Amino acid sequence: MGPGVIPAGRPSVDGNLPVVEVSNLTVNFGRLKAVEQVSLSVSMGEVCALVGESGCGKSTLAYSLLNLVPPPGVITSGDVRFRGRSIIQMSRKDLNALRAVDVAIVFQAAMNALNPVITIGRQVDHILRAHDGVFRTQREGREYFEHLLRLVRLSPERVWSSFESRLSGGMKQRVSIALALLLRPSVLVLDEPTTALDVLNQRLVIDILRDLHDTLGMTIVFVTHDLALVAELAQRVAVMYAGRLVEVATVEEIFYARRRHPYAKALIEAIPSVMGDRALIRSIPGQVPNLLELPTGCRFTPRCPQARPVCHEAEPPLLADPHNHLVACYVANDELEGVMVAP
Amino acid sequence: MSLLNVDNVTHRYPTTVSALPVLNGVSLDVEAGSVVAVVGESGCGKTTLGRLVVGLVKPMTGEVRYEGKDIWALPKREWEVYRRSVQVVHQDPYSSLNPGLTVEGTLKAALLHHHIVRRNEVRAELFRLLDLVDLEASASFLRRYPHQLSGGQRQRLVIARAMGLRPRLVVADEAVSMLDVSMRVSVLDLLLSMRSEQQLAYVFISHDFGVVRYFARTGRILVMFFGVVVEEGPSEQVITHPRHPYSFVLLDAIPVPDPTLARRRRSEATMQAEERVTGEPATTGCVFSNRCPYVEDKCRHEAPPLVEVVPGQDHRAACWFPERVPDLRSLVEASLPGLGAEVGGAQDGNAREGSADDATSGNGPSPAWFGLAGDGRAHTIAPGAQPS
Repeated sequence: MGPGVIPAGRPSVDGNLPVVEVSNLTVNFGRLKAVEQVSLSVSMGEVCALVGESGCGKSTLAYSLLNLVPPPGVITSGDVRFRGRSIIQMSRKDLNALRAVDVAIVFQAAMNALNPVITIGRQVDHILRAHDGVFRTQREGREYFEHLLRLVRLSPERVWSSFESRLSGGMKQRVSIALALLLRPSVLVLDEPTTALDVLNQRLVIDILRDLHDTLGMTIVFVTHDLALVAELAQRVAVMYAGRLVEVATVEEIFYARRRHPYAKALIEAIPSVMGDRALIRSIPGQVPNLLELPTGCRFTPRCPQARPVCHEAEPPLLADPHNHLVACYVANDELEGVMVAP
Repeated sequence: MSLLNVDNVTHRYPTTVSALPVLNGVSLDVEAGSVVAVVGESGCGKTTLGRLVVGLVKPMTGEVRYEGKDIWALPKREWEVYRRSVQVVHQDPYSSLNPGLTVEGTLKAALLHHHIVRRNEVRAELFRLLDLVDLEASASFLRRYPHQLSGGQRQRLVIARAMGLRPRLVVADEAVSMLDVSMRVSVLDLLLSMRSEQQLAYVFISHDFGVVRYFARTGRILVMFFGVVVEEGPSEQVITHPRHPYSFVLLDAIPVPDPTLARRRRSEATMQAEERVTGEPATTGCVFSNRCPYVEDKCRHEAPPLVEVVPGQDHRAACWFPERVPDLRSLVEASLPGLGAEVGGAQDGNAREGSADDATSGNGPSPAWFGLAGDGRAHTIAPGAQPS
């Protein structure tokens, strides 16, 4: 195993078994590696955030969780397992039975994914018919959807016979979440769930996702570029930069720990907040490197305020401290005292 | 004389089905070189107000004046000058650029149309503009098409296009909401730097008070709710001492980049989020009364006027009970300095030492945060509380 590998099958910190395990995953778009050597496991009932700027590979990683990487993307190495079963090797038939039933995804701008020419109710019926094994009767499925609509705080009477054009952006986003939950998946993947929503609708979606986690025990993996959303929602955070994981930690560690990746710190400092001191907000200089022209050494070096000569030489390994807080940075790991756990 | 006034404008689109007009008696003053931010949720009429300022929408009643003259009565030549002087940066840099035009084509057309520079000076001007917005000023960059640019680069190009016309007022309609958080601050900084260099005024439209605070720190804020201005005042004043419940709701909804604070506020949620979002505007009385936590009988029958709430501060609110609205401070209690330190990363002084241990073994928030717990509130987070 190369650097940056979390041993698969190992229980996470809280002792829960992993539901989704990604090991050594690499996804290629031609020569370009959108995701490179990523290992990550998500345990039952966990809320995990994938964070990074546009072009960091976080959406691609999220799609890989359902083996849904859009062409020309190809998973070239590594594996993704759901409850121990590899979904990379799975047959098309098994995959169809798994998607939306065990692992569901709400795509970015999912509100634009609703069919505009049939009612929301008809779309639900279509899903129920395609997966007729999940509920005993069509009626039972419909009733469950009505229950879900109430969970996302929408009125079933209003939504069922509506066309999507009659719903606001925030309502459509919530309908998309309810649709994703229809077949009782145990893992919900959301790609940028609150982008394009205004502040009030964003707050509502945050509250709903929290409720889903608390009441249904839903395992949630969400992708975002906004660390404020992470602070509100996540328990564990995986920070990606230019296709690689650079830090995996609990939400407290990301925000407060002394040892953390300069990129995570920069992302936090870039948030214009109403409460913090305005003078401390700063943008991240430069941009995510072109994945075809990566700098040698650490990929963040060109933008890193703490870069040292060693950073230009070789890619830093992802190292864990005794609490499984992983950081891939020479400078941050330099301060790591005591036992260094090479994972 | 203000650079631009919107005077008591009411507007309704031909397709508006709601009983309420899109804009209902809205007034706005923009002084030369100043910043006015317009804040409100989706559908509250902020964009219509922006379109009105730019001259894209003709109001049904009321007047829009540029340098004291009604823009809809301007002779053709002066209309051209006004249209050149008031530019707009739209929300979505993916749809506000023509995909069939190169960077050069995008920037050149307006420069030539308005005779900003002579034909043989265009090239030099293009490079100057690209340089101004921190884009690569090279011949190869001029040949690129929008699809070859990132979101941040596109928005910079849109800004360059607007700045090329030497505007005196720029309407920035959610100019950064489609950008990554990491890009937002740099684009805001760019806009601010133009302001100081060219005595530029901005009408800055946004739903996010965080962004507004960063951008309009010396300017004014106008809070709109379904076509009505509910609060107006100096930026810091409105943010730290909101006097309309809607302003407070908007402030309260912003996610805070701090997990401990987020969790603490969660347990103190006073209002159900759905009411905050789904309550329809009222057609009689105060427009906000259906969502307002402090609503009384009076509010349902009589619409409050926009009147001064803090004497001498030029701070107005349209609320019968402005004194009931809590200050921003109540959201964070004494944590303002603490939060600043956390956000700024200057946490060495007060943050946890050897903290990774506590975090994973469930010891809850850091000692720095325990200090905040003694604020006399009923729901403070207990030591050892786990993230829910």
